[in-house]
Amino acid sequence: MENLKIEIQNKRKAFENALAKVKDKHSLQDIRNEYLSRQRGIITGIFEQLKHVKPDEKPEIGKLINDFKKHVQERVQALQEKFAAPKKALEKVDLTLPGEKKYWGAPHPILLFQQKIENIFLRMGFSIVDGPEIETDYYNFGALNFPPHHPARDDWDTLYITDDVLLRTHTSPVQIRVMEKRKPPIRIINPGKVYRKEAPDPTHLPMFYQVEGLVVDLGITFAHLKGTLEYFLKTLFHEKIKIRFRPSFFPFTEPSAEVDIECTVCGGKSEDCRVCGGGGWIEILGSGMVDPQVLKNVNIDPEKYSGFAFGLGVDRTAMFAYQIPDMRYFYENDLRFIRQFSLK
Amino acid sequence: MKISLDWIQNYIDVDLPVSRLVEVLDNIGLLIEDWEEKNGDIILDVETYANRPDTLGHMGIARELAAALGLALKEQRLPLTETNENISDLIDVQIWDEDLCPRYCGMIVKNIKIGPSPEWLIKKIEAMELNPINNVVDVTNYVLFATAQPIHAFDLDKIAGRKIIIRRAKQGEKLLSLEAKDVDLTSEMLVIADEEKPVALAGVIGGENTAVSDSSQNVFIESAHFDPVSVRKTSKATGIQTDAAYRFERGADVSFPPKAARMAASLFSQFGGKVCKGIVDVYPKPRKIKTVMLRDHRVTSLLGVEIDNGFIEKTLADLGFQMENKQPGIWQVKIPHFRIDIEREADLVEEIARFYGYEKIPIQLPPLRSLEPILDPKKERIQTLRQLLFHYGFDEVVNFSFMDPEKEKKFTSDLDPIPIRNPISTKAAFLRTTLLGGLLENVAWNTNRGAEGVHIFEIGNIFHMDNETYNEHLRLSMVMTGSVGERHWKEKSKEGSFFHLKGTCEALMAQLRYGSFSFQEENHPHYQEGCSLVLHFKGEEIGCLGAVDQKILDAYLLKQEVWAAEINLSLLFEKQAQAFQFSAVVKYPSVNRDVSFVADNNVAFEKIREALEKLHLPYLEKFTLYDRFAGSSIPQDKVSLSFRFIFRRPDRTLQADEVDVFQEKIIDTLKARFHFQLREGGEN
Repeated sequence: MENLKIEIQNKRKAFENALAKVKDKHSLQDIRNEYLSRQRGIITGIFEQLKHVKPDEKPEIGKLINDFKKHVQERVQALQEKFAAPKKALEKVDLTLPGEKKYWGAPHPILLFQQKIENIFLRMGFSIVDGPEIETDYYNFGALNFPPHHPARDDWDTLYITDDVLLRTHTSPVQIRVMEKRKPPIRIINPGKVYRKEAPDPTHLPMFYQVEGLVVDLGITFAHLKGTLEYFLKTLFHEKIKIRFRPSFFPFTEPSAEVDIECTVCGGKSEDCRVCGGGGWIEILGSGMVDPQVLKNVNIDPEKYSGFAFGLGVDRTAMFAYQIPDMRYFYENDLRFIRQFSLK
Repeated sequence: MKISLDWIQNYIDVDLPVSRLVEVLDNIGLLIEDWEEKNGDIILDVETYANRPDTLGHMGIARELAAALGLALKEQRLPLTETNENISDLIDVQIWDEDLCPRYCGMIVKNIKIGPSPEWLIKKIEAMELNPINNVVDVTNYVLFATAQPIHAFDLDKIAGRKIIIRRAKQGEKLLSLEAKDVDLTSEMLVIADEEKPVALAGVIGGENTAVSDSSQNVFIESAHFDPVSVRKTSKATGIQTDAAYRFERGADVSFPPKAARMAASLFSQFGGKVCKGIVDVYPKPRKIKTVMLRDHRVTSLLGVEIDNGFIEKTLADLGFQMENKQPGIWQVKIPHFRIDIEREADLVEEIARFYGYEKIPIQLPPLRSLEPILDPKKERIQTLRQLLFHYGFDEVVNFSFMDPEKEKKFTSDLDPIPIRNPISTKAAFLRTTLLGGLLENVAWNTNRGAEGVHIFEIGNIFHMDNETYNEHLRLSMVMTGSVGERHWKEKSKEGSFFHLKGTCEALMAQLRYGSFSFQEENHPHYQEGCSLVLHFKGEEIGCLGAVDQKILDAYLLKQEVWAAEINLSLLFEKQAQAFQFSAVVKYPSVNRDVSFVADNNVAFEKIREALEKLHLPYLEKFTLYDRFAGSSIPQDKVSLSFRFIFRRPDRTLQADEVDVFQEKIIDTLKARFHFQLREGGEN
C-alpha cells in the first residue's frame, strides 16, 4: 500500500515535470493521452492496482487516486484553455473591403465553343472520334470522291508535305477511317484542326477548327439531315432562329446542301451589314446525303444504306455567335481576349 | 460569275423583280452573292460550282431559270452571209492527239472590217468586267460568256501552210502568248500548231503571232473540245489562268463546238464578214449519250418525301433530260452532253430536289437506334487535365502548328522536323516539333502589352519524321512567368516559380492516377543548365520542366525568367493508370511531431526523403517539409528545415513514449547521415 502511495506521488511529480515542458497543444495532447487515456492511461493503470489493496484501505487510496486524476484533469484543462486561441470579440472590420480575388484560368474560346457543339451531338447519341492531322491524298480527297486533277480541289487549298502526304483540309478523312472499320449504324462527329493554304486575313487562316458529322444507317433521308441540323442550330443559337437549306456542291455528298441561318445582327435589314454583307443570311454548315461512291469506297452498299454528313467551321461559327470581327484574334492568344471567356 | 439580266432576256422572257429572281436562283442552288444596277442593267454575281460548267454562261443560267419558272427557251437564229469559197479548200485540220482533243471545229470568215464593236456588244463585254478590244476579240468573249464554250479567232493569213495541227508540244518548243510572254512548252502540253510552229496553247491561250490585229481581214474560228485534265495541268504548269481554261478544265459540252462556231460566224457577218461554205468538224469518236436509271422509290428513300412522278418527269425534261418510262416508276434518263455532272441516280435525285425545293422537304429526327458508342478515353483525360489547369490558374491557348525554321534551330532536339512543301510563308515552313515556341511567342505578345504575369498552357500535336514516316504526338506544355492574378490587400501575390510548376506537374500526375512518377535532375537542351528536371514514369521519360534556356529566350526577345514544362501525353496515355481504391479511415488520433533542424544547405531534399523512407518506421503516416529558410539567425551556408512527422496506428492510440522512440531514430539518422543539428526554438 505504501508503495502505491509513493507511486502516486512520483507520477504526480513526473506529471508536473512533463507539464512544465509543454509548449503547445500537440505536446499537451500527448500528455493528456498518456495520463488520462481510458485504456492505457497511467491513471487507469493505478486504478487497476486498487484491486490488490486491502478493503479497509481502499477508501483512502481511492481518494488519493481520484484527487490525482482530478488534479491532472484540471491542469490539462487549464493549459488547454491557455493554448486555445483567445476568443476575442469580433473586431469591427470594414466589411466593404473587397473579397479575396478568386482566380481561375480561361478556356480557349474555340475549344469552349467546340465543346458546346459536341455536347449537343452527344445528347443525340453521337460519338466523338478523332484522327490524324497529317493525312494521305486518298483519305483527304480520293476516298471522298475528288477525282485527281479536278478543279473541285481548288476549293480546298492544300498544304502538302509530299505528293501524297498532306495536312488534312477537313476532318472528313476521319469519317472514311471510321467507315472502313465499322459497319452501320454509324453516328459520329469529328472535331479537330484542319489546314488550308490561305494567307491570314480577318476571315481566312491557314489553320482552323472544324466539327464534321456523319450518320449512316438503314433508311436515312434528307429529311433526317434537316431534322438533325435544325435541332442542332436551334440549340446552339435559339429556338426561333430562321434556317435555310439550299442546294450546293460537295464531291462527297449528293444531294448537297448549304445551311444558312438568318443574320441576327441586322435581322436581314441592313444593306451593308458587316456580318452578312446585306444578304440577311450567314452560311453556317455544309451538308448532304453521303455520295454513293463514298459508301462504295468503304464497302458499304449504297443500295442498302444511306447517310448524311455535315461540317462547320468552329471559328467562323464562334465569330458569329460572339460577334468577333476578326478570326486572327483566336490565335494571337492575347490574354485580354482569352480571359473574357473564363466567364462563359 | 457575272450574269447580266439584259443578256438573259436573249434566251427567256423574264419579268420579275430582282429580289424574286435572287430568291428563285438561291433556291435552286445558284447563290447570288451580290447584285448591282449598272447602265440600266442588273448584274448578278452568281456562285457557281466546280461540277457545273454548264452554268458558266448566260444560256446555262437561263435554262435553269426557265425550268424553275416554267418558261420556254427562245429559239436562237444564227443567219450567215456566205461566200462561194469552200472552207475545205482553205484549211486543213488534223488532230494528232485525239486523247487530248476529242473534237475540233472551225469556220472561216473573210473580209471582216476589224474595228470597234457596236454599242450593244460593248455593253455586254463591259458587263463581264472586260475591256472591249475590237469586234473580233469581243465576239469570241461574247460567245464564251453566252454559251460557256470558249472559242478562239486566228488571223487566217498568218497560219503557215494553211494547216492546223492539234498535237502535243515538242520539248523545247516555245510560244509567244497573247500576254506577250514566252511560254516554255513541254511534251505534256497540247498545242495548236501550223505547219511550222505552235500557234496556241490548246484551251488556255492563243499566240501573239497568229492573233487578229487591226490589219487582219480573214479569220479562222476555232471551237473545240479539250481534255479537262490536260488543260488544267497546262494552266497550272504555265501559271496562265484564263476564262477559257477555267471552263475547259471543268468540262465543256462536247456537242456544242459547231454551234458556237456558227454563232461567232453569224456575228462576224454583221461586221461585213463573208462566211466560207461549210464547217470543219474533226470528231473521230463521237461520244455516246449517257443513260442513267431513275427509280421513284429511290427518290423517296433518299429525300424522305414522296414526289409526284409527273413533277419528276416535267422537271427533268425542262432541264434537257430525255425520259424513257421503262415500267411504272422507273425511267431510263438520257443525259445531255452539257450535264457532265450527272452520272448516277443520286445526281438526278438532287436535280429533282433542287426544283422541288429543299424547304418543302420535311424536318425529321433520325429514328433512335441504340448503337455501340465509340469511346475515347484520351479525350476524357484531356478534359480532366484542362479542368485542373484552369483550376490552377492557367489560361488555355491555341497556336498554329507551324514553326519558323530559324527558331526551330534554337530548340535542339532529336526530333526531325517535317517541312511543308508549299508553306504560306518561310516563317511557317516547318511543322512544330515543340509547343514551347508558340507559348513563348504568346509570353512575348502579352508581356509587350503590359501583362504582369503569363501562366498559360496548350494541348496539341507536335510533328516529326522518321525516315519516310510522319508522326504526330499529343503534348501538353505549360509556361509561366510573373505573378498570377491581381494583387490583393489580404494576400501575397503568387509569383510563378519552378516549384509552382513542379507542383502543378505533380498534381496533374496524381490526378490522372499516375502516382508512381519521379523526377530526375538532368540537363535538357530547352532549359538552363542545372535548372531542369526530367519526369519519369515506369522507366520512361515522359516530360521535362525547368527554366527556359537563355538563347531560346533571346530568340523571342524575352528578358524575364520563364518556367516551362512539356509532357508527352501520347506516351503517358498509353500507360496504365492506377485504379482508384478506397481505403478505410483510421479512427485513432495521430501523434504529430514538429522537428526543426539546421542543415548544410547543399544536402538535396531527395536524399533526405530517401533516408527517411529507408528507415521504414512503422506508423509514420507521412512527413512534410513545412518550412525552409536561411538568414540572419542561421549560420552561413546553413539552412533551417522544419518537418512535421505524423504517426498513427490503425488499431489503437499511440503512446507518447512510443512516438518518442521513432522521433529519436529520425533525429539520430539525420544527424549521422547529414550532420543535421536540432534547432532550438522549435518551429519558428
